[in-house]
Amino acid sequence: MRVSDPVQDQISFPAVLVGVIAAACGAVLAILITREFEPDGAAGVAVAIFMLAVTVAAVSGGIWAGIIAALLSSVALPLIEHPGAGFQFEQFRDVIAAVVFLAIAAVVGLVVGNAAAERRRAGEREREARLLAFLSSKLLSGDLPDRVLDELVSVLLEPFALATCTVQVTLDGQEMSATAKREGVEPGGPTEIVPVVVASIPLGTLTTERPIKAKPFSRREHELLEAATRQAAVALDRARLDARARLAQLDAETNQLRAAMFSSVTHDLRTPLASIKAGVTSLLDTTTVHDAEQQRDLLLTILEETDRLNRLVGNILDLARIRAGALIPRRASTDVEEVAEAVVARMRPQLGTVLLDLQIADDLPEIPADPVQLDQVFTNLLENASRHSPPGGTVRIHVGRDDGAVRVRIADEGPGIPAAQREKVFEPFYRGREDPERPGSGLGLAIVRAIVTAHGGNIWIEETAAGGTAVVLDLPIEEGPA
Amino acid sequence: MKVLVVDDEPQIRRALRTSLEAHGYVVETVGTGDEGVVAAAGQHPELILLDLGLPDMDGTEVIKRVRAFSEVPIIVLSVREGQGDKVAALDAGADDYVTKPFGMEEVLARSRAALRRRGVGEPEAPSLSFGTLEVDLAKQLVTLDGEQLHLTPTEYSLLEALVTNPGKLLTHQWLLRRVWGQGYGTETTYLRTYIRALRKKLGDDASAPGMIVTEPGVGYRWIAETG
Repeated sequence: MRVSDPVQDQISFPAVLVGVIAAACGAVLAILITREFEPDGAAGVAVAIFMLAVTVAAVSGGIWAGIIAALLSSVALPLIEHPGAGFQFEQFRDVIAAVVFLAIAAVVGLVVGNAAAERRRAGEREREARLLAFLSSKLLSGDLPDRVLDELVSVLLEPFALATCTVQVTLDGQEMSATAKREGVEPGGPTEIVPVVVASIPLGTLTTERPIKAKPFSRREHELLEAATRQAAVALDRARLDARARLAQLDAETNQLRAAMFSSVTHDLRTPLASIKAGVTSLLDTTTVHDAEQQRDLLLTILEETDRLNRLVGNILDLARIRAGALIPRRASTDVEEVAEAVVARMRPQLGTVLLDLQIADDLPEIPADPVQLDQVFTNLLENASRHSPPGGTVRIHVGRDDGAVRVRIADEGPGIPAAQREKVFEPFYRGREDPERPGSGLGLAIVRAIVTAHGGNIWIEETAAGGTAVVLDLPIEEGPA
Repeated sequence: MKVLVVDDEPQIRRALRTSLEAHGYVVETVGTGDEGVVAAAGQHPELILLDLGLPDMDGTEVIKRVRAFSEVPIIVLSVREGQGDKVAALDAGADDYVTKPFGMEEVLARSRAALRRRGVGEPEAPSLSFGTLEVDLAKQLVTLDGEQLHLTPTEYSLLEALVTNPGKLLTHQWLLRRVWGQGYGTETTYLRTYIRALRKKLGDDASAPGMIVTEPGVGYRWIAETG
């Protein structure tokens, strides 16, 4: 898709050459024929031959070739018809012939020249249209602004025969640029700078440079470059608006989450506080007498609610730390088995009738992990699993190896989680079906996932054979990117 | 029995004072690290409850200053988020920690254990027994259910470190230095290997421990009761 210069209808060396050759051929033919038909009978024939020569010159070489041929023919005709007399328009006839030759040259040359120019222009227009169409398809593909810039400079390089092409723009206060270079070509040739403008707001400039000693940009090429730049500017604007729309959407989602968090936190903090305050004021009330059992009940409620409040505050702090990007594992060589055993040992007495069954594969490798965070992973998962277990149910913990990871599977005998919600349970403040008597904070699994992800691991939900929930997580044995 | 409480929050000081006095302790309370060090030196408390988040001084600094002149048991009161501070405090010489918010029964239990250790001091008894486990410190003999256990020198050394500090949370660093020597401190894998071997020989299940409790990322604690 090269853009070529339009051929200009000007007198040029090839045109002169074509005219001279045509006239010469005409003269030779005329001489040969007039010799054959002595002496007067051939006059009409010579005129006809020169008319043919002029026509051929104009058709093949354009108007100027025709005119050269016509002039030469006008001189040659009298010389051939009256040899030895020297050049003179002896007869009125010769003058008419000269005028006719010129007229033929002009008419044929113009018609042919116009047609040729039209053909060339059509070809160019088609090439330009193809370039712009190609550009727009590349540019309007919904890519990000930096991608649009990259496409623009690389697409322009070839059709404009450029050595380098650079675009620099400022979008929403952010400076961006892209450059493309053709290999093995020395820049330093003609340079063209085109402004990048959208809705009369200048965004930046496009700078193109041809190889050293290359021919300058034509007006047409300049215009085409401008058209291409306009296309790119529109694409940039669209990409910018798209990016803004995405941000706005993200913002809306964040706000929604924040609102959900706020109402959830407010409710979750107030509920235990209300129970505590009710219990304490009841105990302090001098107008009623509580018996020992009632007192103990009230005090146990206060204790439970304080623990709940403490867990919730801890979880909220953890979540805030995750949000702030401050959840950085302090990795040390860690034995997952040891952490699992310690957490099981600590949790067993707190779980009432729920049983814990811990299975650990032999010869597990130590992994680079934060033991305190791993402790929290096990604690939250066991709390969660036991909360969803029926009384007397068993939570099965299995620690094994899977390829390059230590795999932990914690399965309960609860009601399970519908497949559609399995990803959702890891979102903050998501609550599944749960016993209102034993509410969670809705944060435990979100924190677990954040910790596992920070360790470069994966976590997901599976269904157990009995329809319960199994949380499975992989922790890489080799320290990988988080 | 005199207890020194160092905490900058009046509510905590009041709660601790009320509960401890109800249990027969004499309680002195101060609100800054500086006052804490002065009181520790001048009033000879038998136990210090120390908050790590003091306004004037890092709790670890208080421990170092007190340890310069006294071996009085120190129990650190720390929030869960201060894991690093907790380990640093234990390494600096604290005996134990209680996580805020704490239940009084936990503080009292830890206090009693710390005071008991102090009462024992360096064990005069050549032999300690924990149920069916007997550790003869003089002869370096260990028997379980009347049968002698064959421990390697390192295993014995580790067991001795644990049983002579009952109830105390022993950090990885402390155990490594005590058993392997001063040049050690970060080789937690050695420690884990020997703890596992020791547990196996003692018949102790790590997921339902009767003797050695793991505190992930911190250390180990000997919980078997003497007798």
